[in-house]
Amino acid sequence: MKFIKNHLMFILPLMAILLGIEFYLVFDRTTDSYEKGLKEGYSMLVVTKKPMKLEALQSLNKHISRSEKIERKNIVSKIAKGVSHSSSKEILASLPYFYNVGLDSYLQTSVLEQIKTDLEADPNVKKVETFGSSYSSAYRLFSFIKFTLKLFIGFMAVVSFFLIIKQMEIWKYTHRERMQVMEIFGAPVILRSGILFKVAIVDAFFATILTSAVFLYVKFQWAAHSGIDMMMQNKEELFRLTDIAVLLGAALLIVIIAVYSVVFSNRGVQE
Amino acid sequence: MSNVITASHLTLAYENGAKEVIKDASFSIKKGEFVFITGPSGSGKSTLLKALYGKIKPTEGNLVVGGLDLANVRQSKLQELRTHLGIIFQDYKLVNEWTVAKNVVLPLMIAGYSVDVQNTQAHRLLKHVRLAEHADKFPLELSGGEQQRVGVARALAKNPVVILADEPTGNLDDYSSNVIWDLMENACQQLETTVLVVTHKIPTIFSLPYRHFIIESKGVYEVH
Ligand SMILES: Nc1ncnc2c1ncn2[C@@H]1O[C@H](COP(=O)(O)OP(=O)(O)OP(=O)(O)O)[C@@H](O)[C@H]1O
Ligand SMILES: [Mg+2]
Repeated sequence: MKFIKNHLMFILPLMAILLGIEFYLVFDRTTDSYEKGLKEGYSMLVVTKKPMKLEALQSLNKHISRSEKIERKNIVSKIAKGVSHSSSKEILASLPYFYNVGLDSYLQTSVLEQIKTDLEADPNVKKVETFGSSYSSAYRLFSFIKFTLKLFIGFMAVVSFFLIIKQMEIWKYTHRERMQVMEIFGAPVILRSGILFKVAIVDAFFATILTSAVFLYVKFQWAAHSGIDMMMQNKEELFRLTDIAVLLGAALLIVIIAVYSVVFSNRGVQE
Repeated sequence: MSNVITASHLTLAYENGAKEVIKDASFSIKKGEFVFITGPSGSGKSTLLKALYGKIKPTEGNLVVGGLDLANVRQSKLQELRTHLGIIFQDYKLVNEWTVAKNVVLPLMIAGYSVDVQNTQAHRLLKHVRLAEHADKFPLELSGGEQQRVGVARALAKNPVVILADEPTGNLDDYSSNVIWDLMENACQQLETTVLVVTHKIPTIFSLPYRHFIIESKGVYEVH
């Protein structure tokens, strides 16, 4: 019982840190595609007197990445139902040209305003319509969530690290006598801390396996049946095999730092 | 013959120099010599031994052991030196979660001897201190005097160059004490081991020539 408790007291905070790291990775990946989706889904509407090429628009502002002409015939056919063929031709001639303009990245509202001014400076451009308000609130909400999550993960990591240090102090106490005796007889650090390393590395593996298991479960069992679009579409992003290596690396690093801190603070203590 | 230990104007202190225990002591000990150190309780006998194995550093003066200047020695060199010392502690310092046999062969384990060698040596050493039947017990299952003999066996395990013994017979009756003195005399005579023994009582039957230091009022004096 004491043995299990001793290990759990180390594995659980280690797992909390690993979960935090994995959450961070997953969040970054899923929101990356979300961000891309927002970017591609968004476009500006530009109304011009004469036809305008993409290059011409780009020369006005370099953030413009693509432009799509909206067929005027379609517009006319919608608004001019039942009108005679000749008059519909007249309407067509008097209509300006419409372009859906895409941007190269996810931009701040102030940059959008700048693009609008740049475009409107051209005499050929009649009007530029931006969807500033919805764009901006979506962006703000998005960055707020991102910030909160990072804050939470950071906070969790700090708390967990303190728990690990706490457990280390218990180890330090239980292993102190043996490590001091070994030191007096000239044992090298590696030999003195051998048992600590064994215990800690086993714990690091356990923590990695458990954390991976949680995410694999979420990926293969829960996500598919969750009914959440985001989860089902981004299933592949939830957990990658390379993440195991990242987690194991992180766990071993934490463990090695922890063990060395115990070993070196045990050294030279006056008895 | 060469000096194994040389102290010149040696000062030892605790609490960052605030509490001086030994002041301006000079002496030297040659290879193969047998030295008894006596003195009142609290005079600094254990402190001097601690300095000899590098646990505390001289605050002033020099202390050279086995060619190493302990006032400024690298950790790796000190580690190497310690593998040539056989230290017996006043409070035994056994590892309580290890069996008696494992405690005894700690110096062999550190030197990297195989488990086979460790096992046969454990048996031989424990027989010397008359504890063969206790090999698989744990230190806390032994009496004080028995634990002390485990400490003696451990110190002799790897035929050290220098034995530093702090009250090795403090808890023993005359018979057991004589067993320990015999072991040390043998080591000194046959292997030319340098032996420093802190004791309250110099044995009455002792066949080797020996030197006698007294520590008193912060000084180290030799009795002739
Ligand atoms: N770690 C320490 N910190 C501060 N003072 C200490 C420490 N260890 C010992 N002392 C003090 O140094 C002095 C010498 O102690 P030491 O243990 O060397 O005496 P000793 O001669 O071995 O005594 P005994 O015969 O009782 O074992 C004592 O006054 C003791 O209180
Ligand atoms: Mg003492």
